[in-house]
Amino acid sequence: MFEYVVNYLNPMIMASICSRGVFSRSLLLYPSAFLTRRNGALFCTMQSSGAQTVTKGETSKTPMEALPRKQTKVHEGMLKDYEAVIGIETHVQLSTLTKAFCSCPYMYGSQPNSTICPVCMGLPGTLPVLNSKVIEFAVKVGLALNCELSLNSKFDRKQYFYPDLPKGYQISQFDIPIARNGFVDLDLPIEFGGGHRRFGITRVHMEEDAGKLLHSENGTGSQVDFNRAGVPLLEIVSEPDIRSGLEAAEYAAEIQRLVRYLGISNGNMQEGSLRCDVNVSVRPIGQLEFGTKVEIKNMNSFSAMHRAIDFEISRQAVLHNEGQVDEIVQETRLWDEGAQRTITMRTKEGLADYRYFPEPDLPEVSLTREYIDKISASLPELPEMKRRRYEKMGLSMQDVLFLANDVNVCNFFDAAVEKGADIKMAANWIMGDIAAYLKNERFCINEIKLTPEELAELISSIKNGIISGKIGKEILLELVAKGGTVKAIIEEKDLVQITDPVEIEKMVEKVIAENPKQLKQYREGKTKLQGFFAGQVMKASKGKANPVLLNKILLEKLNANS
Amino acid sequence: MAVANAALAMVGGIGVTMLQRQRNQLYSFMAKNPLGHALVRPRRDFSARSSSSLLPPDVPRLAETARIALTPDEVEEFAPKIGQIIDWFGQLQAIDLQNVDPALRADAESNNLREDFPETFDNREALLAAVPTYEKPYIKVPKVLNKD
Repeated sequence: MFEYVVNYLNPMIMASICSRGVFSRSLLLYPSAFLTRRNGALFCTMQSSGAQTVTKGETSKTPMEALPRKQTKVHEGMLKDYEAVIGIETHVQLSTLTKAFCSCPYMYGSQPNSTICPVCMGLPGTLPVLNSKVIEFAVKVGLALNCELSLNSKFDRKQYFYPDLPKGYQISQFDIPIARNGFVDLDLPIEFGGGHRRFGITRVHMEEDAGKLLHSENGTGSQVDFNRAGVPLLEIVSEPDIRSGLEAAEYAAEIQRLVRYLGISNGNMQEGSLRCDVNVSVRPIGQLEFGTKVEIKNMNSFSAMHRAIDFEISRQAVLHNEGQVDEIVQETRLWDEGAQRTITMRTKEGLADYRYFPEPDLPEVSLTREYIDKISASLPELPEMKRRRYEKMGLSMQDVLFLANDVNVCNFFDAAVEKGADIKMAANWIMGDIAAYLKNERFCINEIKLTPEELAELISSIKNGIISGKIGKEILLELVAKGGTVKAIIEEKDLVQITDPVEIEKMVEKVIAENPKQLKQYREGKTKLQGFFAGQVMKASKGKANPVLLNKILLEKLNANS
Repeated sequence: MAVANAALAMVGGIGVTMLQRQRNQLYSFMAKNPLGHALVRPRRDFSARSSSSLLPPDVPRLAETARIALTPDEVEEFAPKIGQIIDWFGQLQAIDLQNVDPALRADAESNNLREDFPETFDNREALLAAVPTYEKPYIKVPKVLNKD
């Protein structure tokens, strides 16, 4: 299915990417990068289910183990002589209410074999009828990935026998996918040196999912749950443009962002709503033909993808380097998270004969220009547009990537800015105190009581000197947890900043009068005691004194001739 | 049910090949079949193959891909029958398609769609009762680790 296209990369860039891959195992680069992502992840939820708040947060529990010593020792210079060619097939489970070809509801986590019917169970005499949402979602993704859409496409049967496939074939699209020839743009994280990338999209096609097969440990047999059988999927196939584990992980993260922005899938890797099969081959720099490709499965986080692919690249490069190219065979390998390595799952590939033929039970899929235009006009601002817009607003790339990572965070930020919040201050509050709160409480930004309007109000209150930044922080924490308005809290707790010099002067004089011993020491040269006095005055003002004024007046008084 | 579908796959592929020139390499046993060359004058490119010599269908391989166990006697018996079906489809080659655009699908209707509105199938009991090895809540199957 997956066809490679010859693609060269500047050897200099390649070398730097490769060596980065090796260095990153020395624990220097991973933690920061993936921590950043994880923070962002805590914001996310989609409408369809509430369980995915933990999405990438889960990965934080996985220790970032160093790779086996043999891999770490791989000579950096050796990797420079090779380049990796990576293509990714991504399966995205659509968040429709019903399955692709029958009206069975689908809910992740339902009682096994409860959402089934004769159609998805493949009983004789049943006929599939396509869910209109599947086409709508496919068109959305096709447009978002800058693809050409097929005005007429069709479904085909892909025949194979496996216990999770009730009909003995999967309804898929073969030679005429609904969308093809697109691309996706993304920005690499700053922690990894940053940079912009564009990866080609070969095709996007619609198909149905299989059931879930559970292999019991002791077992004489396996168990099947057919709830998932017939659930709609989009398969997104990338061009072999990707060159490193990092790029692959970022590509997958961008697909996740895209489907979440579009609201067509929850994109949750742990639940299997976003599954990536990665094809990796390695060849000496300058060689035209691709090396033997190996498929890697079983990576359920972006950081696992990153590590699995870099491991596989090293493994293949070592075999090249030791003259054992023959040992690289076309096979499927599994990522073993515990051992931090890939292991053979099955060989003997490339011979699969699926005997595709057009699905006779379904009519062709026709799209009209009007339909496409209507959907095109309804598309939300997509991650790439969002990032470029934030960049133009003057935010740093670090801020841009953080905010744009999660569509809910974007919406919150955009709404606050629309209400007049200072751009940089809004970004800082969201990335700082709000993010910390969300992380601690394991909340999504949509679940907190603080509204974007009140964040804007809070920021302008600080900017206009009505409250101090310190008080602002206290108000924020209260708003986040309990709700309410900035104005009401300021009034209720009498938190308005004291900016009246006369009032501050009175407090300063009182504190000085109450601490004659410290005043004497100060005047004898122990000027550090200014901090003590400032603290006392601030305490007396219940934190409300304007700190600049306070210090100015305090200095005057302390240094006044006695 | 799987067997019935597989059999359909064996036969279904044949009819479709006639309509769909770009996929004909998939039906390898078809490609070698000179569909009644006496009957047909090649008009389209895919018809050109009809002039090669007829190879009998590889029944053991077909049976294997369809997961059907056949005895040698049955193989003997089926080979000419499958040949007959192929010949029957071969008659389609006689149709003059000179002025007909290639069709994606044979049917005229398109987009028979359904709203995304969930309905629970009521008689799940019966559905599960028909499963020979149902061990609540799962359907038990022999252990299979390799797919091909």
